[in-house]
Amino acid sequence: MDILGIFEALIQVIGTPNHMLLILIAVPVGMFFGAIPGLGGKLGVVLAIPFVFGMDPIAGAIFLISMHSVVHTGGAIPSILFGVPGTGPDAATIVDGLPMTRKGEAGRAIGAALGASGVGGVIGGLFLIAVMPLLRPVVLAFGPAEFFFLALFGIMFIALLSGDSLVKGLTVGLFGLMLAFINLDPQTGAQRYTFDFLFLWDGIDIITAVLGIFALPEMIALGTTGGSIAQVQEKATYGIKGVLKGVHDVFSHWGLTIRTSIIGAFIGMIPGLGGDAASWICYGHAVQSSKNPEQLGKGAVEGVIAPETANNSKEGGSLLPTLFFGVPGSSGMAILLGAFVMLGLQPGPSLALTGMETVWTLIWALMIANIIAVVMFFAIAPCFSYLSYVRGNLLIPFVFILTCLGSYLSHRAWENLIVLILLGVIGHLMKKHHWPRPPFVIGLILGPIMEDSFHKAMALWGPSFVLRPGAITLVALTIISFSIYFWRKVDTNNEIK
Amino acid sequence: MVTYVLLSASTIDINYYADKSVSYIVATDAGGGYDAYARLIGGYLEEKLNAEHVIIRNIPGAGHYIGANTLARSDPDGLTIGTFNAGLIYGQLTNNPALQFDLRELTWIGKAAGEPRAVIISTNCSIKTIHDLLNAQDPVPFSGAGIGSASYADTRLLSEALGLNIKIIPGYGGTESEMAMMRGEICGQVGSTSSAQSFVDAGYGNFILSVGGTISGVPNAIDFAVDNRAKQIIQLITDMAELGRITAAPPNIPIKQLNSLRTAYENALKDPRLIAEARRMGRPIEPAYGENVADLVISALNQPPETLEIIKNAIGLGDP
Repeated sequence: MDILGIFEALIQVIGTPNHMLLILIAVPVGMFFGAIPGLGGKLGVVLAIPFVFGMDPIAGAIFLISMHSVVHTGGAIPSILFGVPGTGPDAATIVDGLPMTRKGEAGRAIGAALGASGVGGVIGGLFLIAVMPLLRPVVLAFGPAEFFFLALFGIMFIALLSGDSLVKGLTVGLFGLMLAFINLDPQTGAQRYTFDFLFLWDGIDIITAVLGIFALPEMIALGTTGGSIAQVQEKATYGIKGVLKGVHDVFSHWGLTIRTSIIGAFIGMIPGLGGDAASWICYGHAVQSSKNPEQLGKGAVEGVIAPETANNSKEGGSLLPTLFFGVPGSSGMAILLGAFVMLGLQPGPSLALTGMETVWTLIWALMIANIIAVVMFFAIAPCFSYLSYVRGNLLIPFVFILTCLGSYLSHRAWENLIVLILLGVIGHLMKKHHWPRPPFVIGLILGPIMEDSFHKAMALWGPSFVLRPGAITLVALTIISFSIYFWRKVDTNNEIK
Repeated sequence: MVTYVLLSASTIDINYYADKSVSYIVATDAGGGYDAYARLIGGYLEEKLNAEHVIIRNIPGAGHYIGANTLARSDPDGLTIGTFNAGLIYGQLTNNPALQFDLRELTWIGKAAGEPRAVIISTNCSIKTIHDLLNAQDPVPFSGAGIGSASYADTRLLSEALGLNIKIIPGYGGTESEMAMMRGEICGQVGSTSSAQSFVDAGYGNFILSVGGTISGVPNAIDFAVDNRAKQIIQLITDMAELGRITAAPPNIPIKQLNSLRTAYENALKDPRLIAEARRMGRPIEPAYGENVADLVISALNQPPETLEIIKNAIGLGDP
């Protein structure tokens, strides 16, 4: 590896005022597209393409990559404050972010999200530099059989996220899985539970489902109980202290931060799994590795750190196959790839021979953008936390509009609003009767991945796909990881007794 | 006919469009080929029509059906146009209930480029030429998008026409099949030549057969069609490939607005700035206009009963 080349690229980014200026402009734009529900980074890049057209290829690519890499940093803010995720992968942040806001810790949660996003982006980038020589064998080792077991691993987290009652958790998880079957059967083309509605052909929209299950019930609860989201008596203040505490939390949970950054970058690196899976798998890992797993879901800072590190580190991960294979790992990366080609960069294997400097430059730009996003929003983060003290009757109309807008914009279908209301009622009943809600989203997100990869694996290898080396390794890792969790739980229970 | 020629020679009604916005419906999400063409053409169309704005409206879902249905239902005032996958022709041929209008009735504005297809084979695969594929003893794994999609239908139809011994594994959308070819689990795919070009250039695969276009040094599918039935099927895939990136307006729009749109579209696609921009984006421009596109659509929709039967079997839509 050309160490000198790696640092020369860093100096080139930092030492060129034009590049730094572009990053400074791109960061708030990217965060804006992340923070408004339903917009997302993909649309951001599409709309930015005309502005970078004609720019120097590296400068244009730096702008786009900086913008795209901080989308989830912005997306965390509405998740934490109102339970309205800016983008799909930010949904996992709601589970602990919103309870923190209720406890009057909105500043701390935002600080943790900002810190985790920044650190995740940087560690993710460094991890990628380290694994680059192994990129090809690692990426190509994951096919349908391995996807199936990875999804199964994620689905097993339902057991950990069930709270007090495993039966309730499994029921909710199975309900999510059941709704995941609403679509056109990918194997036969038959309509499944679509009732002849065309908008259901592509399945239940994830953003709508998350808004219905999380955001609407919170607003109903706020409306019925009165007061503000922060259910504390203290007066709202400009609390930079809270934000600092959140950032400090990221470093005091350094083990979790590093692990989830690496898991996120790794999942991002494997095309086909998607960002939603990365944040939920990392959330599950936070529960699994926590010393107090029962606190997760009730406003534990680990529940904010894990998905937020993963969200930003996976962006760097998915950049690698896009650049080196010319095969984008996600639809967002596909657009970025098209933009790179338009700018005159030619991603593909030849890049490893001729354009490594470009690759290093883009990875550095990604890391710098993540750091700048943290710094830029650090000062204004406490202002966001004021919103958690606004009276419910003033806040509810605004959040309700934001929720409807997010649901509509994510698929441009008004019918989604009906699904939103229906799921909102179900979510409200779940909240009222203390049924855990995260298993629902896990079932809905991972169900289609599991189904699709199962069918492909069966068609390619028959039942013997379970004996492929990757599959056996993943099964072993799943068993070991869950055994450790239950062993620790039994141990803790014994200590309490 | 004479009336049409006279009218088509007329100029654009710039007063009508001067203070109005035109909606350009794209039946996919933002990003991707259809969106890129619409955004490229939309900018120039705005200038040529002297319209206030041309607004891109992404209406994705249900494999382009939602966007296309919305376009067909729009007011025929010349202020709404749209682009969608020409593969919806397969939907009409198989009476797919999702298509809520007759494609013959749309007003065709033009097409920006064709989308020639090709058989792409991974370099990991033991099959190296079309002859290897034609003589394959064991089923060769090919990727396909979802059953019912146009690209799945192309694969099944080509296999039917040439008697290929292939096993289609469905569920590989977008670039997933390229990754699958790199991993070696899939041997090949029938795909758009322009989309696969970078994959081939990177050395991961080779074109072994072209369908509906020409690739230097690569044989053409029509040369391997042994009977009339095979020729008819390949001709259908070729027609669909030729249509490619189409733009249409709702049925029955007034002739004045129709001519304005067609003329502006033609002027836009002939603009050297647009051509240069498209080249930079790696998007080919091989345009056709108005009635020529309408003729292509009608030709693709007029299939003899035996070809229709093959298409119905090939698309293999399950029971609702």
